[in-house]
Amino acid sequence: MAQDSVGFSSDYQFWMQKLSVWDQASTLETQQDTCLHLPRFQEFLRQMYEVLKEMDSNTIIERFPTIGQLLAKTCWNPFILAFDESQKILIWCLCCLINKEPQNSEESKLNSWTRGLLSHILSAFRFDAKEVGLFTQGLGFAPADYCPGLLKNMVLSLVSELRENHLNGFNTQRRMVPEKIRFLSRVCIPLVTLPDIEPLVEALLIYHGHEPQEVLWPEFFDAVNEAFLLKKISLPISAVVCLWLRHLPSLEKATLHLFDKLISSERNFLRRIECFLKDSLLPEAACHPAIFRIVDEMFRYALLETDGAPEVLAAIQVFTRCFVEALEKKNKQLKFTFKTYFPYASPSLVMMLLQHPKEIPQELWHQPLKHISEMLREMVEDQTHGSYGGPFECWFLFIHFGGWVDIAAEQLVMSEADPPEALLWLLAFSYSPRDRSLQRAQTMVEVKVVLGHLKKLFRSPTLSAKDLQAAAAESQDRDPRPPLCQKLIRRLILNFLLWAPGGHVIAREVITLMAPTDELTHEMTGLLDQTLYRWDHLCMEAPKSRKLARELLEELRLASTAC
Amino acid sequence: MESLLQHLERFSELVAVSRTTHVSTWDPATVRRALQWARYLRHVHSRFGRHVRIRTALERRLQKRWRQEGTSGSFPVPGLTNFQALGRCDLLLSLRLLKNRALGDAAYHYLLQQLFPGPGVPDADEEKLQGSLVRLARRSSAVHMLRFTGYGENSVLEDSVLKTQAELLLERLREVPKAEGEGPSRFLSALWDRLPQNNFLKVIAAALLLPPSSPRPQGEELELGTPKTPGQGGQELVRWLLAKSDVMAAFCQNLPVGLLTSVAGRHPELSRAYLGLLTDWGRLLRYDLEKGTWVGAEAQHVSWEELYGRFQSLCQAPPPLRDEVLTALESCKAQDGDFQVPGLSIWTDLLLALGRGSIVQLGEKKVLGLSPGPSSLWAVFCYYLYV
Repeated sequence: MAQDSVGFSSDYQFWMQKLSVWDQASTLETQQDTCLHLPRFQEFLRQMYEVLKEMDSNTIIERFPTIGQLLAKTCWNPFILAFDESQKILIWCLCCLINKEPQNSEESKLNSWTRGLLSHILSAFRFDAKEVGLFTQGLGFAPADYCPGLLKNMVLSLVSELRENHLNGFNTQRRMVPEKIRFLSRVCIPLVTLPDIEPLVEALLIYHGHEPQEVLWPEFFDAVNEAFLLKKISLPISAVVCLWLRHLPSLEKATLHLFDKLISSERNFLRRIECFLKDSLLPEAACHPAIFRIVDEMFRYALLETDGAPEVLAAIQVFTRCFVEALEKKNKQLKFTFKTYFPYASPSLVMMLLQHPKEIPQELWHQPLKHISEMLREMVEDQTHGSYGGPFECWFLFIHFGGWVDIAAEQLVMSEADPPEALLWLLAFSYSPRDRSLQRAQTMVEVKVVLGHLKKLFRSPTLSAKDLQAAAAESQDRDPRPPLCQKLIRRLILNFLLWAPGGHVIAREVITLMAPTDELTHEMTGLLDQTLYRWDHLCMEAPKSRKLARELLEELRLASTAC
Repeated sequence: MESLLQHLERFSELVAVSRTTHVSTWDPATVRRALQWARYLRHVHSRFGRHVRIRTALERRLQKRWRQEGTSGSFPVPGLTNFQALGRCDLLLSLRLLKNRALGDAAYHYLLQQLFPGPGVPDADEEKLQGSLVRLARRSSAVHMLRFTGYGENSVLEDSVLKTQAELLLERLREVPKAEGEGPSRFLSALWDRLPQNNFLKVIAAALLLPPSSPRPQGEELELGTPKTPGQGGQELVRWLLAKSDVMAAFCQNLPVGLLTSVAGRHPELSRAYLGLLTDWGRLLRYDLEKGTWVGAEAQHVSWEELYGRFQSLCQAPPPLRDEVLTALESCKAQDGDFQVPGLSIWTDLLLALGRGSIVQLGEKKVLGLSPGPSSLWAVFCYYLYV
């Protein structure tokens, strides 16, 4: 507590000094500095109210002899009065100074002075316009009646001036000079969260002058972006795109904000991730290639930093899905070629990956898979394809469309024929892109052996968990499997459980055996969630498998919340 | 019903008292009752907004009261003037009390506790009122800040103020009961006698240029089924102007030329009256052989230059106004004897001058070539008022 009050006193001194320097925020420098400190000052006001509300006015004056000065300076700073909730908290603070029954002239004076300040904050108009007053009063209106209407007209007038500028460039009669636009953007900083101002904020964002340099204040972009991210304002997508294109820090902040949300949200819940993603407007804004490239780059960093965490992989996949969906919705004929979104990738590979499996008959899925695999393999193994980046670049492109891997894994388990080399390679590559070809060949052999065992068991009428465990077991005479290869095999087993006719009988037992640790439980949960999400999007008709997957997922989720 | 009307009556009195020194006798209990009353009437507003019979009865009583106040003193006091106002009556009362220095300390202290109870208010009503007061403070800050964007000329504020005044004027005009045949025009004449006339003329022009349906935004208040007949107020204005020749003359004499042209372009009845005035003014000019120009017989007569400027502006308007003006000039010329040489008939000379002027010399003020439409008309209005 003592610590707190020391902290508060030093804050008090700091803000007292600031307010003296700011005065009425009439110069460029003071306005800028005020804007920079508005949120912090509001926080200070809040703290101050908490302190003041516990005291009577005499104690307040005793403890803070200069409080009157501080509050008066605050009341005369229009930027503070216009910002967010500052005027409200300021009113609360002033209320604390009012003495119910003043005992002497000093107390009466303080009351009267405080009432003056309150009146000042609450008076609808602080400018001198006698004729206006006479007219509206003559019509029987008080300023409070028409203040909203006047503000609306002012905003509309400024918006139309901005638009004229925008449309006609230099040929309009009432052109807004760049300095005025710049000034306007600064004035709007404290006002961005006021709904009446929204059309103006939007017009400023969309306004493109003929000036070589940015006319709007960076702090304006910061304020708008902040308000948008905190959902204090809603903006049309066109304005948001302008904001992010004009001010990259805002785009970065928006992406990081999304990452924060994804990290703090429940793991393995792709539906929810999809909501967060769509809600952020980033996939839609990414239809502009510049925005896509930056968001994608940030995803790449996230992936590298987390060493390919499955959650990040899943987020990239869902992001890509939403992005492609937005792109299709936006225009059937693409405004930009895919080359602008994936400049380092092979265009034919991108086109192949972009195909929606839903539009291809299920029995033909192996064809695109084979093509994708061959193209990737050629690029990865043949060094002459340097122009498409190394194996990592190929892999990074591929995992955007990770649904193909899931389909490959499913096809391998369900197919009666011998597993095709191409599909095995694709799985091995997607699970372990850093492997050299020898290691990859080894993984492929391991997988092939396990698949061979699984095939025998697929239609077995007396399927048991033990059989399955034996099928997946490592053979004694070979090197132990690398962890990623084990992971791949776990996935095949899971697919087997979902699709084999007898799978549902032993599913729970097998999963208990396969996922003895929390981490492995998470892995299973993630796989099931991803599978169901994909089936939903493909409109897969597999009621039995679907039911089992849903039940297993629920049980695993329950188990993980229980511990 | 009658008791509700009595409540209303007494609350109106209370609102009227709230700005006087009588409140010095109020104690916290009085403030509490007054606020409770206001809250009750706000509920009445939200409850009976769609109930035509009750609503009409309430509105009639309010307007009657307001007009009575208006006729007794020189200025009616803003207050509860229509049903809409009932929706914000607690705000109105609160603001008056907050500003009234006659209110005693204890009562004021109580008022603040009621209006600004601080964070975490359980009562939705209190929260709503606190919200309205705070929003008003924030909005007025916004007005205060945006007005400086005009870089000294202050035009944004003045344009918007005029437009707002025009909207308010139309709103009141719509409320004047039609049953009293002369209602609207008597109302306008009373305003004309009382208010600063130059400002009033500008407001009239602004009102005549407003897009047909531009009801005043009610902010957060609900627009409860108000019968709005767009353009109706504007027609009342036109009718009144045409009936009052002195006002019409002042209107045509004092407002900027381009603005008048825009108004004439929107209202054919007014354009005919305007043309009539212009021809009257033209007939007062005599040709000065020595100077070789048309001059006024008396100092207050409109000069040739001004007359020419007005016709030039009209001729640059889009048809049908332009054609109408040219036809009028031609017919005046024919009446004078259809002279083709200069110096004999002012109409011949005007047509000659315009024949050159309207084709070649459009110069920098060529703004009327804009496509006709409410927004461009509005831009023209603002332009002429402040350039």
